[in-house]
Formats: sequence, structure tokens, C-alpha cells
Amino acid sequence: MASVTIDHVWKYYGKTEAVKDLNLKCADGEFLSVLGPSGCGKSSTLRMLAGLEHISAGDIRFGERRINDLPPKDRDIAMVFENYALYPHKTVRENIANSLMLRGASRATIEQKVKKATELLQIGHLLQRKPQELSGGQKQRVAIGRAIVREPQLFLFDEPIAHLDAKLRAHMRGELKIMQRELGTTMIYVTHDQLEALSMADRIAVMHEGVLQQFGTPQEIYDHPVNEWVAGFVGEPPMNFVDCLIEDRGGVLHAVHPSFAVPVTGSQEAILRDSAHRAEVRMGIRPDQIGIVTGDGGDAVAAQILLTEPLGGDMLVDAAVGQEKFLVKTKPDFQGRRGDACRLAFDTGRWHLFDRDTGLAYF
Amino acid sequence: MASSDVVRYRSPLRSLVNVLVAIFLVIYVVWTVLPLFVMFVSSFKDLLEAFKLPTVGDWSGITLFFDFTPTVKHYQSLFLDHNFSVYLFNSIVASAGSALISVVLGAMCAYSLSRINFRGKQDLFFWIISTRMAPVVAVMVPLYAIFRGAGLVGTIPGLILAYTTFNLPFAIWMLKGFFDNVPYAIEEAQMCDGATRFRAFLSILPLVAPGVGAFLVLCILFAWNDFLFASIIGSGGAKTLPVATKELVQPQNIQWGSIMAAGVVTTLPMMFLGLLIRRYLVAGLTMGAVKE
Ligand SMILES: Nc1ncnc2c1ncn2[C@@H]1O[C@H](COP(=O)(O)OP(=O)(O)OP(=O)(O)O)[C@@H](O)[C@H]1O
Ligand SMILES: [Mg+2]
Repeated sequence: MASVTIDHVWKYYGKTEAVKDLNLKCADGEFLSVLGPSGCGKSSTLRMLAGLEHISAGDIRFGERRINDLPPKDRDIAMVFENYALYPHKTVRENIANSLMLRGASRATIEQKVKKATELLQIGHLLQRKPQELSGGQKQRVAIGRAIVREPQLFLFDEPIAHLDAKLRAHMRGELKIMQRELGTTMIYVTHDQLEALSMADRIAVMHEGVLQQFGTPQEIYDHPVNEWVAGFVGEPPMNFVDCLIEDRGGVLHAVHPSFAVPVTGSQEAILRDSAHRAEVRMGIRPDQIGIVTGDGGDAVAAQILLTEPLGGDMLVDAAVGQEKFLVKTKPDFQGRRGDACRLAFDTGRWHLFDRDTGLAYF
Repeated sequence: MASSDVVRYRSPLRSLVNVLVAIFLVIYVVWTVLPLFVMFVSSFKDLLEAFKLPTVGDWSGITLFFDFTPTVKHYQSLFLDHNFSVYLFNSIVASAGSALISVVLGAMCAYSLSRINFRGKQDLFFWIISTRMAPVVAVMVPLYAIFRGAGLVGTIPGLILAYTTFNLPFAIWMLKGFFDNVPYAIEEAQMCDGATRFRAFLSILPLVAPGVGAFLVLCILFAWNDFLFASIIGSGGAKTLPVATKELVQPQNIQWGSIMAAGVVTTLPMMFLGLLIRRYLVAGLTMGAVKE
């Protein structure tokens, strides 16, 4: 087992900067998820860790050991590839046993370890098949099996369950997490699916256009996004954003919009007054942080229902406030209909204000 | 995927085309197989019997062709008096040797060209193919001078080198296509599993094996059938079957029987090889055609 330190690492492909000045530290035995949209440099990072891609600048260390110049075979890592990369001419058994055979393990050890891995992944009945005779989900599990038989010091998983159907994916999320906890092996897990990252990882590194945006526990990332981009990327359904002005009304700071003015809380006011904040901000609030009731009047924000989407356990409501649209998550017994007037109550204790120019969060 | 069966509709034009196709095929078979057949049969005939021909227009006279007592004396004379066992050996060693060397070196070179990016790669690749663009005859004289200077004329290694010179660029060009079709991720996975770069290369060879095997046969065929190199570079010590056969044609006494027998000895091994690997040959050479 080993900790992983990524120290001012850059990756260029010609003129393309795929990873820019990345700094990460992953503790021994930790489940670290690298989360970001397509093309943000996740795979590049992972491939540098694996030794498949040259590190353009910076250092990567496993424990105290700098591994920049170590070939993949000497790094003691196991990787699951985005596109499986199974050996087409070998059976499932040979695919899984490959790394053990390359290391000259004895027949009995191979037999026993392959058995253990295939039991965990429930692919025991597929051992004699060739990869082209497997479904996508089965291939993916074989690829995972190939990685876990060897008990390396570091797992590198590149979107290992992205191609599975929703149900199997949910199942595999749980399985992988349990497996990692049991083996206690450090895991770096790349995904573009925030649900995977939130549900499995000890800590998440959110990347965007090659730049690390935020590094923290799932709860930190969800509750305290450092900037507007992270706030918008993490969370499903996505956060609502509205441009507001900060105005002092009777000694209390308010977030003011042509259609409403909402006072900030005491601690938030302290943060705003401390920082040399500007009047122009962007307010962000998650759909489940907005309360909705039908009818007019009261001091809540007046709105009109545009659309209701019952989702079984929840109900999503599209509500218009002046020119703005808010997505609200509520209970399925909500009675409003399209065109009805309603009122929105913002949970100001949990909302966010961002600098409109830099996107950085005040809170 | 759509079925690859051709959809056919009955029509007068269709039947006409069918008849024409049949006629064409008959002519084609006669054209290609008859010479071989005549060669094969004649090699077992005495000289007199071989020249017994019916008069033109006398179709019943065709039985004359089969009216002979088989003899193997031509084969005996080839191997006992004319040293054909040596020439056969030369042919086998020169063609198999050059084919092996071309394919082994070619595979490694093609692999690097397929997998590694470096400055000037395109130019290098073009230069390699361009060496095949000049006609062989044009380079023959300088090549001969060089080989003579190096003492390679009339030796088997010289002949192997000459064939390799011409097979290698072709091998690199063909094999690069095969390697391009194997996803690089497979080797990356091997390397993560603990293989060296070279191990990873070896591990994907089974995937290109049909192509490489088919190409090996093409290289053997090229060298086996070659006359020009063999007669000039190989003249003297490294005579191969085609050259030896040619030498049976002497101004005084053309030994038709022996020539026919020599033809059989030259053709038969390649025909067997062809039949043996026919399926792989087709599979191998079309391998690069369709991407997954
Ligand atoms: N071999 C390469 N040559 C040139 N550019 C590359 C290469 N590989 C990746 N890139 C570029 O680097 C950037 C990051 O790519 P990377 O594969 O790391 O993205 P990713 O986050 O894994 O995306 P995805 O979720 O789609 O897999 C992209 O802009 C991509 O176009
Ligand atoms: Mg990727």
C-alpha cells in the first residue's frame, strides 16, 4: 500500500495543455475520486500515474519514492481501462491470470486467486469464454477482475462502470466500495458521474479544463463548493443560479433581484462585510433548498408554476420568478398545476453567493 | 449487420450473364490449368512420346496425348546428373531465409513505426516504401558491383541479403497496417500487468499472426520465383531452381523432358504451400480492411 503525491504536475500534448499544475495528496488506503466532465484531463492524470504517459513537468511520488521515470511494470499498480482493453485472443481465465503469470506465480496460487476474484465479481461461469463472447458489463467485470487479482499497492480505475446499465452500475458502486475497503488498497477512481464520486469516494478531486477546482470530502464538495463551476457540476438536479445585487437595506444586506429581495443570514453578512465584496453577485441554490407552497401573499418570493415532473419519490417543479426559472424539488403530494401561482421560500442558511466575475464563492 | 448474400432476381439478362460467366470460367480454367497439366504429364513421358501430336482438327486424336508409358527417368537425371537436390536446397534456404529475416525485422520496424511518434516519421516511412519504386533492373548493376566488392556474389547469404533488400520495405509497409489495427490499449494493459515493452509487443503477435503468416508466404513466393537476382547475384555458387531449369535449355540439345520435370519440382512445393495456407492467406491479407 502507498500514499500518492502529485506535485505540480503538468501534461502537454503538443500545444494542448491537458493537465495544469495539479497538486493532490492521496493518503494510504484512501478512495480518491477524480471527477470532471469529458476532456478535463482525468484520463491523462491517471495515465501519468500508471506510467503510460510521460509526465511533462512536476513529480509524482508513491510513498517517498519518485516514480516519474519508472516503467509501468515497476510501479506495482493495476489499471482498469476506459475501453476494457482485454486480450482478445485469451480466455477470461487467462485474461485475469495474466498479471500473475507474468510475475511467475505458482499454478496453485493463480488458481486460488483467480477463483477468489471471479467469485467476488460473479463471473465464475464465464472463465472459458473469449472477450468477444461477453456482454459489455461482463467485459467490464473481467477488466476489474484482472486488476484485483494481483493485490497491487495502487488501483487506477478509469470510468470502470460507465458502460453498464443503471441498475448494474448501482450494484457495482456498492461492490467496488466494499471491495476497496476490504482490500485496503489505495484507489484512484476516475469518473464523470458525480453520483459515483459522491457515493464511493473518501475524497473527491474536481477537475475542469485541466485545472483542479476543489479537493475535499463529498460532503464538503456538495455543501461548500469553492466556485460556481463546481456548484453547478456537482448535484443532481443541478443548482439554480440567478444574478443578484447585494444592497444594504436598513442595516441588513439583502440579495436583490427585480422580483425579490432576500436578507442574508448573520454569519453570511459578516463574511460579505469582511471581504471587499462587490455588489454584483450570483446566487446559487439547490432545488431541494427551496420550499414551495401554492397560493399568493406572504413574504416569500412570488412565482408561477411552469411544469411539474413527478418522479415517483420526488416531484420536480419548474417555477418562473419574473424572467428567471427555478427548479424546485418537493414532495410528490404537491398539488400545484401548470399556471398556478405559488410562493418559494429560499433556505438562506444553505444557499451560496458567488463573485460574478471570478466565480469564486463567498460562502 | 446486413446479410452478405447477393440478392438475385430471375430475368433473361440474368440467364445470359450466367451463361457468359460459365463460358468465361471454362476458358479461364483451361488457360491456367492446362499448361500445368501438360507440364506434369509430359514430365513422365519419353521425348518421342511427348511430341506425338494429333493433326489439327482431329479431336479423336486427343487420346494420343494419354498414350504413353510413364517413366521417371527425367527426375532421376535431374537429381543424379544435374545436381537438382543442391539447387532445391539453395532455393529453399534462400527463400525461407530471406522471408524469415524480412518478416522478423519488418515486424519490429513496423511495430515501432506504428506505435511511436518521432520527428521525421512520415519521411522515414516514405523513404522506406520509395526504395521499392525503382524497377529492380535499374539497381541491378550497382547492386552487383557492391555485392562483388563484398564478396557476396554466388553465395547463399548474398542471395538472402538481396531478397531481403527487396522484401523488407514491403514487409514493413504491409505489417505496419496490421499493427495499426491492434488497439494500443492492449499493450498498455500488458505493461500495467507487469510486462516489459518487448513482452507487450510479443503478446500482441498472436493478433497479427494471420497477417504475418500470409505475408511470410508472399515473401517466400517472391524469392522462390525470382530469376533475375538468382541468375546475377546467385550465379556460380548459389544456383536456384529457376536458374538451373533455364540452363537445361542448351543450344544443341533442349532436354524437354527434364525441363518439364524441373518445372514440376519448382511449382509443386509452392502449390502445396498455397493450398495449405489458402484460408489464412485470404483472412490475413484482408485483416486490416475492416476496423472494429
Ligand atoms: N494522445 C493525445 N494527443 C493529443 N491530445 C490529447 C491526447 N489525449 C488526450 N488529449 C487531450 O487532452 C485533454 C484531456 O484528455 P483526457 O483523455 O485526459 O480527458 P478525460 O477527462 O479522460 O475525458 P473523458 O471523460 O472523455 O475520458 C483533451 O482535451 C484531449 O483532447
Ligand atoms: Mg478519459
